[in-house]
Amino acid sequence: MSEVKVMKKMKIDEALNANVWDVDHKPHIIVDYEKCRKLCDKRICTLLCPAGCYTLTGGEILFSYEGCVECGTCRIVCPHEAVTWDYPLSGRGVQYRYG
Amino acid sequence: MPYIENARFDVSIIGAGPAGLSAAYILAKNGLKVVVLERGRTPGSKNLYGGRVYAKPLEEIYENLRNEAPIERWVKKERFSIMSRGELFTVEYSSQDSTSFVAYLSKLTNWMAQKAEEAGAVIVTDVRVDKLYLEDGVVKGVVSGDDILKTDVVIDAEGVNRLILERLGLVEKLNPSQVALGLKQVIRLDPVKIEARLGLSPGEGLAWLIIGQPTGFLPGGAFIYTNSSTISIGFVVFLDEACKRATKHVFDILEEFKQTPTIKDIISDGVLVEYGAHLTPEAGLDMSPPKLYSDGLLVVGDAAGLLLNLGYTIRGVDFAAYSGYLAAKTILKAHSEGSYRKENLSLYQKLLEESFIMKELRRHRGISKILRSSEVFTEYPEILISMVGKLFQIQDSSPTLIQALRESIKGKTSLVRILWSMFKMVRAI
Repeated sequence: MSEVKVMKKMKIDEALNANVWDVDHKPHIIVDYEKCRKLCDKRICTLLCPAGCYTLTGGEILFSYEGCVECGTCRIVCPHEAVTWDYPLSGRGVQYRYG
Repeated sequence: MPYIENARFDVSIIGAGPAGLSAAYILAKNGLKVVVLERGRTPGSKNLYGGRVYAKPLEEIYENLRNEAPIERWVKKERFSIMSRGELFTVEYSSQDSTSFVAYLSKLTNWMAQKAEEAGAVIVTDVRVDKLYLEDGVVKGVVSGDDILKTDVVIDAEGVNRLILERLGLVEKLNPSQVALGLKQVIRLDPVKIEARLGLSPGEGLAWLIIGQPTGFLPGGAFIYTNSSTISIGFVVFLDEACKRATKHVFDILEEFKQTPTIKDIISDGVLVEYGAHLTPEAGLDMSPPKLYSDGLLVVGDAAGLLLNLGYTIRGVDFAAYSGYLAAKTILKAHSEGSYRKENLSLYQKLLEESFIMKELRRHRGISKILRSSEVFTEYPEILISMVGKLFQIQDSSPTLIQALRESIKGKTSLVRILWSMFKMVRAI
């Protein structure tokens, strides 16, 4: 958790750093990259995941679960069922203090 | 679930949110043995919403809500704006009579958990329920990992992502047309600055909805709520429309909104203390499970689709809490009858139908479709701002209203179409 002045445009990572986290050691979401590669050209997850967990790296989808706020958007917007989604175990993940 | 293995509970509740906890509170208060299973570390740690709660339904459940609950500010000013090119056209309503308050949902939920515990409910955190436990097709408890917890009846208050109901086959997987995505930042700011910059008297609360530019012209709306010493700022967009139309990252859209001149001045010297996002049910009755009760099971809150988005306001927490309250009443009756079969639990549906929840949801059924298909969020903000600009920014000649409008809609749409969609909207609301 670190506080960020809101004066200038922020990057997602800066904003997520304001939160309290207890990140799990293993991912609660699994992405089938094979499906991303073969079936998907729209890649809407890269625009709609509010935590920016889906990025394009060298033309390929890369997913990282660490900043996930567990909203469930990716599970629903993926048209190719490439996302196997569950909540983190044992109270891990984002810890909202305000909500 | 090691330390509750030997205990015997009448009711298990999945999820310590407003719906689950309100049910727990009423059940425990009336002597039933209740356990609430929460996946988060503390109740409220996984809850997120815009910022405002309508008080009346909650006061029926929690008598001392006004004095005890962690209320930040009562809403004394309602502001509605249309924004385009950084310019705003605003309508404001202020009243000393307030029916809603601004609160942090994590803190409000935590307070509800305290009330439930004081009444005798057991709340177990850090437990993710994976599925329901069934015997001969009858719900008889819950399953978490390898652990089974048997209870006479279960309340599913798992929230908008209905993984448990999906696994049971009671609902289909959510699709983007049924939900909206909400993003929110909480920004700490000196209360004196909050009040001065937003035109509030000390302690007064503001609920501000802004459509158009803040969402990047995606159907939906932005909100600003004032807490005691923070401002909540964010937006809600219909997810199917966002899928179709988004060309920018949603976070960047929010950041650009914060950089528009008016907003930038309001949040200046603020410090971000939290950023989060959550889905919100949008389809109401059209996404409810076919039945909200079955043998040994009741479904409440977001999981049941019980939320109303009227465009100018969203009612979720009060609907959720009240559905939990009605589920509790149903279980108390069934308990006295000695059976939790669907014949006994069908009372829940009846109570919902008689309550404001179903009346409101039926009265406004279809509003969500009208809102998202409407040009009100996409083309009209630009037209209106352009027209208002022409009226007020006078150079040599001052235009008439109709001239200003004609010029602003040139090549975009027709006057008749604008009036027709306004009529549709007003009728639906």
